[in-house]
Amino acid sequence: MAGSFKYGVSAYSYTDDYGSVMTLEDAFDHIADTGATGIEILGEGQVEGYPNPSSAFLDRWFGLVDKYKLEPTNMCSWVDMRITLQRNLTVEEGAAELERDLRLAHQLGFKFLRPKFGVTSHDLIPETQWEAYVERNLDTAEKLGVIICPEIHAPTPIKHVVVDGYINFIERTGTKNFGLMVDTGIFQNKPLTHWGSHQINEEARKHMEFLNGIAVNPEEFLDIARYVVFIQAKFHDIDENLEDQNIPWRPVISALKRAGYTGWLSSEYEGWRAPWRSIDQVRRQHALLRKLEAEYDAQPW
Amino acid sequence: MLEHQLIQSTGFRNFGPVGAREGFAVRIRVPNYHGTRLSHFDGFDVTVDGELFPFEANRFGIRDEVYTLEEMREETEARWGLTEWGEILVDKPGGLEPGVHKVEVKARIRYSYFPPDVHIFPMQAERFATICVA
Repeated sequence: MAGSFKYGVSAYSYTDDYGSVMTLEDAFDHIADTGATGIEILGEGQVEGYPNPSSAFLDRWFGLVDKYKLEPTNMCSWVDMRITLQRNLTVEEGAAELERDLRLAHQLGFKFLRPKFGVTSHDLIPETQWEAYVERNLDTAEKLGVIICPEIHAPTPIKHVVVDGYINFIERTGTKNFGLMVDTGIFQNKPLTHWGSHQINEEARKHMEFLNGIAVNPEEFLDIARYVVFIQAKFHDIDENLEDQNIPWRPVISALKRAGYTGWLSSEYEGWRAPWRSIDQVRRQHALLRKLEAEYDAQPW
Repeated sequence: MLEHQLIQSTGFRNFGPVGAREGFAVRIRVPNYHGTRLSHFDGFDVTVDGELFPFEANRFGIRDEVYTLEEMREETEARWGLTEWGEILVDKPGGLEPGVHKVEVKARIRYSYFPPDVHIFPMQAERFATICVA
């Protein structure tokens, strides 16, 4: 049997519950009880006083990491390209935003940082300055032991200039501190009924066709696997028979396994935001993914 | 902790001197899944019992600061945390009558990672909320 996946959960899964019916410690408790060993957070979300947390917060953070035996995996961040309505970030400002988050991620014990860059088109072409932001921070990332990983997220498929651009950057610089994050929402092949807190009406469906799923063939993962450093296991609805209503996990798991992926699968629930619904949805996903992994290891398909 | 929904029950109130109210406040949690710098908000439309109070004139209060739309658009340092509330301050001489009102909020949030033409994204919510004191 080849290596196995590492299971984690993103606190993003608990959006809307977090801060209303759930504290930071509750999130740790829910995540640890799934059997997961990793926690992913939103920097400007779970970090109180972001971007400069107090020493009291840091004490609490490390206390929770220790108590619940969860390893910090990835911290999500944003480079706010359209800094005001009137103007965009300069290269210096954008690089400084990325550096700030790299240092914060490292301070909290994270090994991955996912920056969200601004985009300039409907197929999510990132602003041209992204390369300069990253390149100016590669030495810092190496020194801190953090891998910067922008995500491949619907409606951007795998075969796309966005992905080519990131791969070219890796090839050109030879860096080990920049890689791809894959969001499994790209494999969605059935329409969503809810997108986070939004119930999807016909109007939204018309403007955001990707809500119906862009159905990337999971086999394409094998073409980019060597550049992939992290997977956000995006999902929206798993029923009581452990059937995912949108994401075809069986071929996805097969592709990840054959590609030799042994990194994190970090749950990202993005379904209906009814209070507490996310907690059991995450548990169902972990039951489903562990079952599929065990079945694959017993008899590959 | 905050209430689950965007528009909070607590904090829906008249402001200004009793007997000469100047307007009303609607308390909301951050209309986003993560904390956000204030310059990424482009105002809040408020509708009460069908009467629209457009975003251009409404102010925003958080912690001990109050911002006009123009001030908020340029505020790149101050942030609205995921677990903090803010309030929309709406001018309305006399304030609102005590009792239950239908309140709708449309937050105009700017996402740098959305396509340019749709980067101001409306986050909408509505509910019944109660003014306790005239």
